[in-house]
Amino acid sequence: MDTSIRKDRLLSQKWLRTLINLGGVLLALVIAWELLNLVIGRQCDGKCITDTLSQMLRVATPIAFAAFCGVVCERAGVVDIGIEGKMLTAAMVAYAVNLFSYQWLQSMMEASAAGTLSRWLALLVGILAALLLALLHAVSSIRFKIDQIISGTVINILALGVTGYFYRQFLAENLPAGPGTFPKIVIPFLADIPVLGPILFRQQPLTYIMILLAFLLHYVLFYTPWGLRTRAVGEHPRAADTLGIDVLKMRYTNVLIGGLIAGLGGVWFTLEAVDVFNPMMTNGLGFIGLAAMIFGKWMPFGALIGALIFGLGNSLTTTVSIYRPDLPSQIPQMLPYLLTIAVLTGVVGRAAPPAADGQAYEKQ
Amino acid sequence: MKKVNLLLVLVMIAALALSACGGGSSKLKIGLVTDVGGVNDKSFNQSAWAGVEKAAKEFGWDAQYIESKQPTDYEKNIDQFATENYDVIVTVGFMMGDATAAKAKQYPKIKFAIIDNAYFPTKDSKACDDTAKDCYADGGLKNVTSLMFQEDQVGFLAGVLAGGMSKTGTICSVAGMEIPPVVRFVVGYQNGAKWIKPETNTLNVYVPSFIDPAKGKETGVSMIGQGCDVIFGVGGNTGNGGLLAAKEAGLMGIGVDVDQYLTYAEVKDILLTSAAKNVDVAVYEYLKTVKSGAVKAGINTANVQNGGVGLAPYHDMDSKIPAEVKTKVDEALKGLKDGSIKTGYQP
Repeated sequence: MDTSIRKDRLLSQKWLRTLINLGGVLLALVIAWELLNLVIGRQCDGKCITDTLSQMLRVATPIAFAAFCGVVCERAGVVDIGIEGKMLTAAMVAYAVNLFSYQWLQSMMEASAAGTLSRWLALLVGILAALLLALLHAVSSIRFKIDQIISGTVINILALGVTGYFYRQFLAENLPAGPGTFPKIVIPFLADIPVLGPILFRQQPLTYIMILLAFLLHYVLFYTPWGLRTRAVGEHPRAADTLGIDVLKMRYTNVLIGGLIAGLGGVWFTLEAVDVFNPMMTNGLGFIGLAAMIFGKWMPFGALIGALIFGLGNSLTTTVSIYRPDLPSQIPQMLPYLLTIAVLTGVVGRAAPPAADGQAYEKQ
Repeated sequence: MKKVNLLLVLVMIAALALSACGGGSSKLKIGLVTDVGGVNDKSFNQSAWAGVEKAAKEFGWDAQYIESKQPTDYEKNIDQFATENYDVIVTVGFMMGDATAAKAKQYPKIKFAIIDNAYFPTKDSKACDDTAKDCYADGGLKNVTSLMFQEDQVGFLAGVLAGGMSKTGTICSVAGMEIPPVVRFVVGYQNGAKWIKPETNTLNVYVPSFIDPAKGKETGVSMIGQGCDVIFGVGGNTGNGGLLAAKEAGLMGIGVDVDQYLTYAEVKDILLTSAAKNVDVAVYEYLKTVKSGAVKAGINTANVQNGGVGLAPYHDMDSKIPAEVKTKVDEALKGLKDGSIKTGYQP
């Protein structure tokens, strides 16, 4: 067979798969919409729909970052369940930096400029804090070949203790006023598109970064040498090594990049969602992110869709609770999980992780 | 290899040690077990600890707290105090009801006080079965005092104020888990708003967590989208998130449990008042009975009649609240006190 035909066939199969996936998602959305209307009796009008969907995107942001972190690490063969801890640490560090650098910067410039500067500074320092934890994970699991699950758990426990301690010591009371969260960025023209505008183009910066990152990761993973090497290292490190790829270096890089991405998810809590910090405020979203990654079959867009479904479940919970106060509150609260299970069993087939996922690599 | 594992274990122990507390002496020892909100929740855990601290300082006792990180910690934390021979253990919150009952039976010599949870004879209950007439006297909880609050009364007052201040005619609440003390607040709040203006539209969402400000804020944003302009945050840090949503939209908010104007500076500009439960006073009064030896098992209820619950001062909002609304609030308070107004809460 001619190679070009084979390539065409492969391509068409790929497109078909994508199409089927998209169709499945659409179908799920339609079913969800009809079920919703059964419950709330078509009370959700235009504004309520855009509100719900834009909330979906906001809630999905930290989950998507966590999922991307998982994709980047696990594609290179390193399981990272310490995402939650990294997010929590980044959230706290960003909160503290935002608050205190604002005080300091205010003496030098006007308040609004100081606010902007301190928020971006906080974002930077926050993701660097997550990077440090990622480094700990990388060194212990790649260099010292400690079981990756254990190393991740250690990071989660460490983050819980450290953030709790610093919170009690320095961040619990008598705090100065902070500069607040990132303001919304309204993209000119695009924001005026009906329905899509308010959902996609009136968001805060991290939400935009999250969407762009999905495209970037997809491109990098599947269309660059770095991506090819990453996948090779995650599937068959021995073969990659034979071809001259430095397996350990690839894994280090990926875990560290994953740490930065998890950090973005963490700073979302204190720079974009609310301008307060409290212990355990990440509330397990790091783990939900891992679920989104598995749902998305270790693909960036798949992970994004997984995060969006969970986000949608969350925002629907609120909508249903508002319109049906007579229902026991636990019923709408089950929605995100029910929706996830339904989609997982109905649309997605078997998910296979990268073959060398979770295995330490020993050079021979 | 072994060395590294050892190092990791040390790091883990250090991390755990950072989140726990220690202490010890021969004086009377009071231990407080917080709910998952933690001792700095700017809300009822913090208030309970303030009451313990005040009593300990005044009577020269030792006091310590342990923060529960998750519900499975409750029994463990009580055990920790018990093995260190604490004399009194205060447990904070309805969620700790079963753990407290079980441990009170296990350690009959220790005095327990639980906030927000009362025990009634119920079939197959872990606390006390329906064969008992009274859980405290003959149900085995002879060493437990329940410190209860009539949240519906102060919620009602908050509702009157909210209903009077709302311009859109829609008021809402961002609530934590659907447990009795929270439900009492919410029901009182909604009925209060309807008492001052019967056509008031009330919205409420229960969020299944007390420590999720991000979710609380999103919930608040949704209800603001439905026209709500006064948000009552009733759920620890989750409720605080609701108040942040009100602040960002330039609307009004009402705090809960303590005077949040004093504890939660971020939202003080938009706080009309707070529906306060004087948990600190209740805990302090209880510890006073421990000192005098008059401590009794059973239910102590704080209500508007004895000043155990009430609205916090209006602070900066004082000038913005019209006199007729204030009069209505006072009228409602009077009615609740003499029993001519009912909050409409049915257990």
